[in-house]
Amino acid sequence: MPSFVRHMLLIVAPLMAAFAILPGVYDNHLLLFNFVIFLILAQGVNIIYGFTGYLPFGYVGFFGAGAYGFAIMVMHLQAPAPLAVLAAGVVGVLLGLLLTPLLRLSGAYFAIANLAAALAVLHFVANPALESITKGPYGVALNGTFNPTLAYIGAVIILALTLGFVVFLRNSSFGMALQAVREDAVSAAMAGVNVVKMRVIAWLVSALVAGLAGGVFAWYVSVFYPDNVFSSDFSIFAIVFALFGGVATIMGPIVGVIILYGIYNLIGFTTPQYFQLIYGVLIMALVLFLPAGLVSLATRRGWNVP
Amino acid sequence: MLRKAITAFGLGAVMGMALASPVLAADAPAEIKLGTLYASSGRYASISMPVHAGLKLWVEQKNAEGGVYVKAFDKKIPIKLVAYDDQSNTATASTLYNQLITQDKVDLFVADSGSVLTAPAVTIARDHKMFLFDQTGTGGSFFSKDNPYIALMSDPVSTIWPKPIADFLTKDGPALGIKRVAILYSTNEFTGTQANSLRKFIKDANAPIEIVYDQGVPTETTNYTVILNNIRAAKPDAVIHLGYAPNDIAFLRNVQDVGIKFNMLFCIYPGLETELLEKNVGAKGLQHVFTYVPPSEMAYPVNFGMNIADYKKAWDKKYADGKIEFGFNAVAGYTTALVIEKTLSVATSLDQMELRKAVFSLSGNLKTLDGTFALDETGGQIGELTPLGQLELNDHGHIKFVAIYPHEVATGKPVYPKP
Repeated sequence: MPSFVRHMLLIVAPLMAAFAILPGVYDNHLLLFNFVIFLILAQGVNIIYGFTGYLPFGYVGFFGAGAYGFAIMVMHLQAPAPLAVLAAGVVGVLLGLLLTPLLRLSGAYFAIANLAAALAVLHFVANPALESITKGPYGVALNGTFNPTLAYIGAVIILALTLGFVVFLRNSSFGMALQAVREDAVSAAMAGVNVVKMRVIAWLVSALVAGLAGGVFAWYVSVFYPDNVFSSDFSIFAIVFALFGGVATIMGPIVGVIILYGIYNLIGFTTPQYFQLIYGVLIMALVLFLPAGLVSLATRRGWNVP
Repeated sequence: MLRKAITAFGLGAVMGMALASPVLAADAPAEIKLGTLYASSGRYASISMPVHAGLKLWVEQKNAEGGVYVKAFDKKIPIKLVAYDDQSNTATASTLYNQLITQDKVDLFVADSGSVLTAPAVTIARDHKMFLFDQTGTGGSFFSKDNPYIALMSDPVSTIWPKPIADFLTKDGPALGIKRVAILYSTNEFTGTQANSLRKFIKDANAPIEIVYDQGVPTETTNYTVILNNIRAAKPDAVIHLGYAPNDIAFLRNVQDVGIKFNMLFCIYPGLETELLEKNVGAKGLQHVFTYVPPSEMAYPVNFGMNIADYKKAWDKKYADGKIEFGFNAVAGYTTALVIEKTLSVATSLDQMELRKAVFSLSGNLKTLDGTFALDETGGQIGELTPLGQLELNDHGHIKFVAIYPHEVATGKPVYPKP
């Protein structure tokens, strides 16, 4: 069986089945929805960081832009929610295109410039002068499209597509070429890889994923402020979850989100007073002992982790 | 025949009462679950913790008395406070709000403080048909005629908050010589909405007042030097600065550093977080600054709950370490609690729409240490308005409040222009 099909059947299909069944047995649907959102975002970070080495500290910029893309489509064009979600993805891609010059930077410079870009987008959206378009800092209320069930289904579909793309990256020459660029761009170019094109594609797909996630998030929550959808917590969580599991794999970000976001909520529900202590110790332990993420426990033993 | 009928009726009534009482007692829950969130860390911790502490103080006080009176069961029932820490994270807050409703099955659903952390609760409450006791989420977008599942407890809705400033400027201002007004605001919901409302109130008043400077700046702004010079160039008689506490601190420090003297200068937080501002700006820097007068300075007559002096005593006893500041937000949390207590004493069941009906029945009648509780038809708070005041120094060089407007609550005259 080709590894692409095997990965789709053994990883993506069971995960989709789980998220299809879980709302029937667990009432806190918003928690499940947030799991799906963070799985999408962690995989989005995986695409850009895991496969190209660009750490997007301002990844939330695409997410927030997508949320406002959704809101503008609904408020001004009375677009149906699914169409508005697609538009949110387009907004993410357009912003990605606008920020493409950032790819000339690398390492910490790229990370900081990306963070600054996200803040710039936040202040642009929250500018009172744009109140007639974005509602500025005064918040958006999209009561007409509010439908948590459909929004949840939309999020699961986006997750499936995102995972499908990551499976493709893991099993295609395109993904291999990206990793070659990440390891040594000059050598990859010498071997005939179009470095700029590769990076831009990965960057735009990553932006598309976050834009779609932002759109579906706006659909679900329906009342939000710029601070809600441009919160740096989204970037931080997505990056930490992806790193915790291990990037450049399909399973790493999934494991990272399930374990770390699971623990996050477990602590939040049971012992919130120890929250920062437990979470901090956990992340420090990871950085000190498993810098390549949890999957490195398996890869060190020579096991192949998809 | 008649005697038989009366006897039968009497017996029936007695039996009915005998049966009815145990039914009521059996149905009564062992506790009333009150679910809420607080932020112990992050951007909103400083406003959330005092509000939560006020609510917690009330829960402990009532439970020590055997619980709150619940009319639906005609008895006192203890309150169980189910509170989670959202750490100022809105995604976490969403999950936890949902947890309160779907897993903990709370009877009373209370939001965290501030509009940003209240926003997720508005949608969730509506989705689950739970009535939201909105503590201090003043965002105008929360309140609409088609959403019956929300009411604002402790702060006036942002759209009417600056009414006393606008009324003072348009009614008393011209006689004092105030004709040119500058508005500087931070571009967030809380202060941006107030700026919008202030502008509208001034324009609608048709008074001889001209807005000569009107500028929004990012909430993260910490240096106002250039902006101050721009404002000075516009030659305003009054400068209204609407920002959060860190904005006010930076702004007032810059005013001192640059050495500009405005005839009238208004800032929000010298009134709401006086201790913090005095610590960072100094008493001298706050002298003659116009601000909102918090309920802790007004001693409103109450018809329910503790008055401000008793509440302060109870607060000092419970939070003797002084780690949580007593002020505007501390009063807000306790005010929410009082509205809840009164609601339970009026509502005939714990059905969410009945709770709403009971809350609305209090409008205009409930007078707490925060002023008169009054709601508009959408659930927005239109009572509990904070009067306009001015900070002066007492004989010992400490800050004191002088209420200026409305006249019926005024304790002094404005010092204008600033000497």
